[in-house]
Amino acid sequence: MRINPYNNVKYQWAVYVVFFIFLACIPTIVGDDVFLLNQLSTYGVYGILALSLSLCWGFGGILNLGQGIAFGLGSYGMAMTMQLQSQDILEDRIPPFMLNNAVETLPAIWEPFWNAGAGISLALIVPTLFCLIFGGLMFWGRVSGPFFAIMTLAMLSAFYTIFIDLQYLTNGVNGITPPMALEVGPYLVDPYSSVSFWVVFVALLLCTVVAKLITQSKFGLIVQAQKNDPERTRFLGYNVALYETIIYAFSGFIAAIAGCCFAMLTQYVSPGQFDVGFSISMVIWVAIGGRASLLWGMLGAFMVQGAQSYLGDQFLSTWLLILGFFFILVVRFLPGGLAGLVEVILGYFSSNSSGTKGSNSEPKRVD
Amino acid sequence: MLASIVNPLILGISIGSILLISALGLAVIYGAAGVINMAHGEFIMLGAYSTYTLQSTMGMPFLLCIPCAFFIVGIIGFVIERNLICYLYNRPLDTLLATWGVSLVLMQSSRLIFGSDVKYIAMPEFLSTNLELGILNFSTFRLFLIAVALILLFITWFIFYRTRLGIKIRAVTQNKEMAASFGINAAQVYSITFAFGAGLAGAAGAMFGALSIVLPTMGMHYVVEAFLMVVTGGGSILGTVFASTLAGEIQSIFAFIFNDTMARGLLFILIVVLLRFRPQGLLSTGSGRR
Repeated sequence: MRINPYNNVKYQWAVYVVFFIFLACIPTIVGDDVFLLNQLSTYGVYGILALSLSLCWGFGGILNLGQGIAFGLGSYGMAMTMQLQSQDILEDRIPPFMLNNAVETLPAIWEPFWNAGAGISLALIVPTLFCLIFGGLMFWGRVSGPFFAIMTLAMLSAFYTIFIDLQYLTNGVNGITPPMALEVGPYLVDPYSSVSFWVVFVALLLCTVVAKLITQSKFGLIVQAQKNDPERTRFLGYNVALYETIIYAFSGFIAAIAGCCFAMLTQYVSPGQFDVGFSISMVIWVAIGGRASLLWGMLGAFMVQGAQSYLGDQFLSTWLLILGFFFILVVRFLPGGLAGLVEVILGYFSSNSSGTKGSNSEPKRVD
Repeated sequence: MLASIVNPLILGISIGSILLISALGLAVIYGAAGVINMAHGEFIMLGAYSTYTLQSTMGMPFLLCIPCAFFIVGIIGFVIERNLICYLYNRPLDTLLATWGVSLVLMQSSRLIFGSDVKYIAMPEFLSTNLELGILNFSTFRLFLIAVALILLFITWFIFYRTRLGIKIRAVTQNKEMAASFGINAAQVYSITFAFGAGLAGAAGAMFGALSIVLPTMGMHYVVEAFLMVVTGGGSILGTVFASTLAGEIQSIFAFIFNDTMARGLLFILIVVLLRFRPQGLLSTGSGRR
């Protein structure tokens, strides 16, 4: 019996290489249209988000409806850094929106963000730390499955309210609009140039490679084991809560990277990043693409977001309706998403070509 | 002085009754069928819109709208259960996702039908007054909400513990296969339970529409809090009652000391910490299903 080529690790890496070579060609194809390039870079950010979610949910079995928390915290950290970069540490200390809120001195929580390095580190560390603590509390209490999903959702809406409420720190509903692009040392990362595209590209590439390596490591094997049967994994002597917390926190870290890139690209953050609807759409990307596959999760994000911007204009009012129906259909009939469909088709062709039509034993899933 | 202490306590009961009304249908559906129904908030929204429609087109009195909303949303829930949920009972995470899809569809359809502008439900006059008892002062509508919460609770209790249907529901909840082998049609019981839970959400929607405003997105606000109550309570109806009352009081006291947003945040942190030490919820005998 031949194994389904879908599960061949070498083929998988080859597909990833092709995928990234294609992405690397985008600036040449797009040419001078910097606005389109900026939009495509934003899709790259959605790709990173989808990757983080499929690592956590598809691979680790932890459905996280609050991925927007890490994303939002990351993007706020980045925006605060960028805001302070446009100001002077001695003379012009306080951002304009704070002056409008009658804040006299810069709040202490903003102080570390004067230094770009410290600011960006914080933008990545704070969400990860949050995931470690929250995930730790939940997983050691053996809250899992649908209940964990609900808790993340509740947490997300708590963040949404708090960020609106802390007007003097976050400018409430209006959000923070840094007037200048991010400066890294002497370089300016102009969001409307190919530089920012490459930043996002490298981030996506690194995250994908690390995530893919994790899925193939021994650590990844145990994570998968606890997804399939936590009780049995526990009896084998593994600390399931530890593995759950680590994979959840790592996924949060990747989402925070996405958040940083997002703030850099759009020069704008708002509580909208914590919006429940946005975190819902992340789950929809990954579900439609295929939760078990990192690559298909990303492709799902590109497809859904792309369709939303290009079909959205014509079907503006019915778009959510179509998306909702499609999502229901995928959940009902195609739990593996489009990736599952591809797997079945490839399996059909490979068993046909090798002449083992009779064997219907399913190959074990690697990815 | 006394009033400033007693009023938050009464407000707490009022908040608790709102939490209970919104969580009751969810607790019924989760407790009996084990379904995590993310479309619950949209069932509430549908209840509010059906009340609005009945009131504005037919001039139906508000009190009559509540049972009508119950039946309309109950029927919608029944149809959804028959066509989607009943295929997913052995996949709990997928029911969560599928009902989420349902919530998207319902939200967007009602936006297409009713528009996204704010609608209001008119209340009868005797409910929009303030009642003053010596030093105490509270709105009659909030008292009415407490009464409705008790009535809905009584109806639920009556159906579950005093009717043949209730016996069937409890039998299927305890052991589906065993119940089925005694001739109970489990699929039918699930459908009816789901419809009943949806109906309770519809009645809740009629109340909440009158309490605040009617919007296609109003459900999202209630569903998260309702879920927290069910999870904190441990999934049973009694637990939900207990959790709602307690949470209402705590929130009201925190809001009295700090402010409203802080109160919600603190309450939430409290629930997270509680779940760390009692993952089975406040009131739960067994290890529960999680």
